[in-house]
Amino acid sequence: MILDRLIPARVAGIDSLGPTLKRFRFEPESGRFPTAAPGAHILVTLRGPERVWKNAYSLVTPPDQRDGYAIIVRRVRDSRGGSHFLHDHLRPGDRVEIGPPASLFPIASLARRHILIGGGIGLTPFLSYVPVLRARGAAFELHQYCTDEETGIFRELLAEAGAGVTVHGETSRRSFTEVLTDQPLGTHVYTCGPAGMMEAVEAAARDLGWPEAAIHKESFGGAEGGRPFRVTLARSGRTLDVPETQSLLEALETAGIEAPCLCRGGACGVCLTGVVDGEIEHRDHVLTEEERAGGRLMATCVSRARSDVLVLDL
Amino acid sequence: MIDQGIKSRPTYEALRRDPTGRRHLYLCAGEGPAPDALSDGPLESWTVAPAAAEGTLRRPQGEGERRFRSSRQLLDTLGRRLAGERMGLRLYAEGPEDFLWDVFGIAQDHGLGRSEVFLKQSGTLARRVQCVHCKTFNEGVTTTIVRCAGCGANLFVRDHFSRRLSAFQGVKIDAEQPGDVPQAERAYP
Repeated sequence: MILDRLIPARVAGIDSLGPTLKRFRFEPESGRFPTAAPGAHILVTLRGPERVWKNAYSLVTPPDQRDGYAIIVRRVRDSRGGSHFLHDHLRPGDRVEIGPPASLFPIASLARRHILIGGGIGLTPFLSYVPVLRARGAAFELHQYCTDEETGIFRELLAEAGAGVTVHGETSRRSFTEVLTDQPLGTHVYTCGPAGMMEAVEAAARDLGWPEAAIHKESFGGAEGGRPFRVTLARSGRTLDVPETQSLLEALETAGIEAPCLCRGGACGVCLTGVVDGEIEHRDHVLTEEERAGGRLMATCVSRARSDVLVLDL
Repeated sequence: MIDQGIKSRPTYEALRRDPTGRRHLYLCAGEGPAPDALSDGPLESWTVAPAAAEGTLRRPQGEGERRFRSSRQLLDTLGRRLAGERMGLRLYAEGPEDFLWDVFGIAQDHGLGRSEVFLKQSGTLARRVQCVHCKTFNEGVTTTIVRCAGCGANLFVRDHFSRRLSAFQGVKIDAEQPGDVPQAERAYP
């Protein structure tokens, strides 16, 4: 079930995990949060002085924990501002609104064995997988790839994850092919991290003959900025500008338009919107090659314009 | 009587090599050989020749060719083989429907998913029929009505096929009016 009501919550605490990593803990204003699924994310609405962000973050708390949620966020240099706001302005006690958890990255129930491959902060969905896999007695390995500086941070986050965990720094790390070679039938691989890394994991698995159904990617963090462009809404005749650091979806929301969305990372397809005119730069993981070439649909959360103007069927 | 309009029956397509696989194993309930569309690359081939054919067939020559004395022996060997297999294998099975789904069941028990197993019906259309009353499996049924080897009931052979049991469903035909058993027709040669 997808609930669409926002849940009022407060910042219960902020833990600094490293120079650019913080854990934010939220508690509900009243009652309890909904039960999440492993790999679920929440949309956090952040109200800054000048703009509002709705950003998706994976829950790092166990799925059945309902008295509090936690997320871990990296402060990224060229972000659209959400992570800066979280890191620099959010304080314990501040109020936030949280969307109900949704999972687009479930554990495959038929899998016999699970290989989880995280890259950097892409570890976060797996932090909610691990307690579930352990409770099920499932066979799993978790491989976390990160910089040498951060191996300590991630080892600590994974201290209770059990024996199947390996944290790979930059030196002497095992290749994805080594990790995936010689796995028994029924093994599934899950990966979350930078796009290039996820593609490399997928390529290694394919190369070893793994079927598509056994390869799972979490495709978050796709909403990068880009060239500014102008949007005309065909039905209302309104025009708005999408600046460099804002996504089209955010620009629509800023203009007070209730645009549909769920993952905000180009993975779910809920935000797909008709395009009447203009050239699209597709960045989603939903549309087929044919649909892309057709140029009549776009994911507003991540995709942008190649032309100066886009005309949307809105 | 033959088409009972049951839409859940499996349908089968000609076997083609799945190029995304790294190792390929062809299983045939008969003597083979593997279709050409499978053979453009390394292929293991397991076939069955009954004991009566001994001495009349050439010996398997190619690498990865094995011949079994019964499909039962082939299936038992398959289970042991899959227990040690690794990701990247594709299975292709050809034969009567009960053999195909026995293969599929063994494959599933060892972790292979739907996209890693390919099935093609060939040979006899005779059915394995499970009596819904006493659960006995009746092998090689070619008629629309069969007397259950377990409980003696006269079973109507439905088109309802269980992939899990690799069997069609047989239901007592004269339950309403005992003794009212129509003439059986030979329908599944």
